[in-house]
Amino acid sequence: MQELRELLFSRYRQKVTELEAELDDLRSSVNDEDRLTAMVTPIIGDAIRRKIRDAREEMIDALYPVIGQTVMRAVSEAIRDLARTVDAQMRTTMKPQMIWRRVQAMVTGVSDAELALRDALPFQIAEIFLIHRESGLLLWYVSREPDVSLDSDVISGMLTAIRDFAEDAFGRDDGADLEAIQYGERQILIEAAQHAYLAVVADGIEPSGFRAEMRDRVIEIDHAYERVLRDYAGDPTPLAPVEASLRSLITSTKPRQLSVVQRRVLMGLAALMLLCLATLCLAGRWGWQALHATPVPTAVPPTATLTATPTVTPSPTATVTATPLPTQTPAPTVAPATPAAVEGVMVGNVWAYEAPAVGAPRLEQVLDRGRPVEILAVYDDWCLVRWIALGTEEYRGWVSRRWVGMLDPIPEYLITPTPAP
Amino acid sequence: MRRIQKKVCLLGDFAVGKTSLVQRFVYNRFSDKYLSTIGVKVSRKTVVVPEGDEVVEVTMMLWDLAGSQDFEGVRANYLRGAAGALLVCDMTRPETLASLERYLHDLQEVSAHAVTLLVANKSDLTNQLRFSAAQVEQMAAAHDTQAYLASAKTGANVEEVFRRLGQVLLEHTQ
Repeated sequence: MQELRELLFSRYRQKVTELEAELDDLRSSVNDEDRLTAMVTPIIGDAIRRKIRDAREEMIDALYPVIGQTVMRAVSEAIRDLARTVDAQMRTTMKPQMIWRRVQAMVTGVSDAELALRDALPFQIAEIFLIHRESGLLLWYVSREPDVSLDSDVISGMLTAIRDFAEDAFGRDDGADLEAIQYGERQILIEAAQHAYLAVVADGIEPSGFRAEMRDRVIEIDHAYERVLRDYAGDPTPLAPVEASLRSLITSTKPRQLSVVQRRVLMGLAALMLLCLATLCLAGRWGWQALHATPVPTAVPPTATLTATPTVTPSPTATVTATPLPTQTPAPTVAPATPAAVEGVMVGNVWAYEAPAVGAPRLEQVLDRGRPVEILAVYDDWCLVRWIALGTEEYRGWVSRRWVGMLDPIPEYLITPTPAP
Repeated sequence: MRRIQKKVCLLGDFAVGKTSLVQRFVYNRFSDKYLSTIGVKVSRKTVVVPEGDEVVEVTMMLWDLAGSQDFEGVRANYLRGAAGALLVCDMTRPETLASLERYLHDLQEVSAHAVTLLVANKSDLTNQLRFSAAQVEQMAAAHDTQAYLASAKTGANVEEVFRRLGQVLLEHTQ
């Protein structure tokens, strides 16, 4: 009976034992968090991937409240930072750099604001590698951080390998070089000279002119150390002075000074603008005078009803020796004590008279329009003026006041209550 | 202490053990995947070599070049500027010893003054060796260089190879 039972149930007993073992294993897996995670993670990962593929919109809707807020916050923060930077840039409107930017904007056709935005984009150099072009050996290395990277020599070797590979793959015939490697926000800018090349690891977009600066720097080093670099023996000690030059490249990425050429162009433009401004002022002055004088180019003197004989009397600050009738030889001798001569200009072609009256004898001298005169005295609507004609000859005579243009009001001391006797 | 750097290339057929030599005994920064993508991986080995009363630190930048034919075109570029090379063959495959002639020729075309050492790898597989140490010596003598039997697996002679190469490089610098 026992044997029979054994025969009948042994299989099932073994099965039960196996099932119990499996159940124990499963129970321990469920209780062990790490094991459970390891078991479930791949399944969940696959399920999520499948769900995203099959129901993308549904997943976006589900995740938006969580991820959307985070993304929006990050974007807002980035935009605020950018706005702050642009604002700081715009506060320096009158700096030469800003003027230069405006000139650039005019020349290139890019708006001033776009250039300002471009300048405001962050750019920071993390590391600079000076590398021997042929062997890929690191010649010098500078970093923004004080700790020197232990891998800089290996990295420079790999960079050279990548350059060589790119050259072989794409630019074997045209002599082109790999100029940049971009990964995310970071990029490696490369500028090469004959024996060495410079690799700058930087974040952001390089400002205009930075590449030219890199090129200048590497060419300068290449020339200065040509002997060392041509047959480089692997000892970088003689290249120690390049440290300062490379480090200055890191600091020069802050707001840049204008180059000599840029400064000269700016100065030239400023001078030109001043010249134009001065010309405009002069033209405006003459125009204003011409408009206010209602010029009638005529040699016929204006009519006047004044009959009184002018007497020029000295003012408190001027000594005027009056003569009964002004003649060609100056009747009223005006000798201002201290004031400078009062200048005017003729705004019409008029006769000069011996006395301040239309009926007075003419001097047979016509004062033509535009002629500068010195005003010696003023009586009523008449001015006693002095002018030079025929090169050096000096004349005096009375002309109607309205034909004499003046920028400043007539000084008190020139006005006489009576014409000179 | 004086420090110098030299570019050294590892040359040899596919699977002769170049990468194994580098993996175990030098400073590795990059993954081996670069060998199959751009055909080269750069690592570093520093040895200190006596020079008169002083010592010199020789840093060898090791360019491990892919042995596959896919990168034959680019190999000349990678060889430029090399001051030395390790020519590696597999003692269980006689054809790898013969191939070294071609690698040596390629090297001398772009870096005529590069110094070389011949390394016969996998010397630990005594039952499978298909050529003798004498043949390796003969090949080395033919090219005016020195030969080493080494094993990247056991580490036998590997450090000696690098040390000797450092010494030779320093001698050629003076």
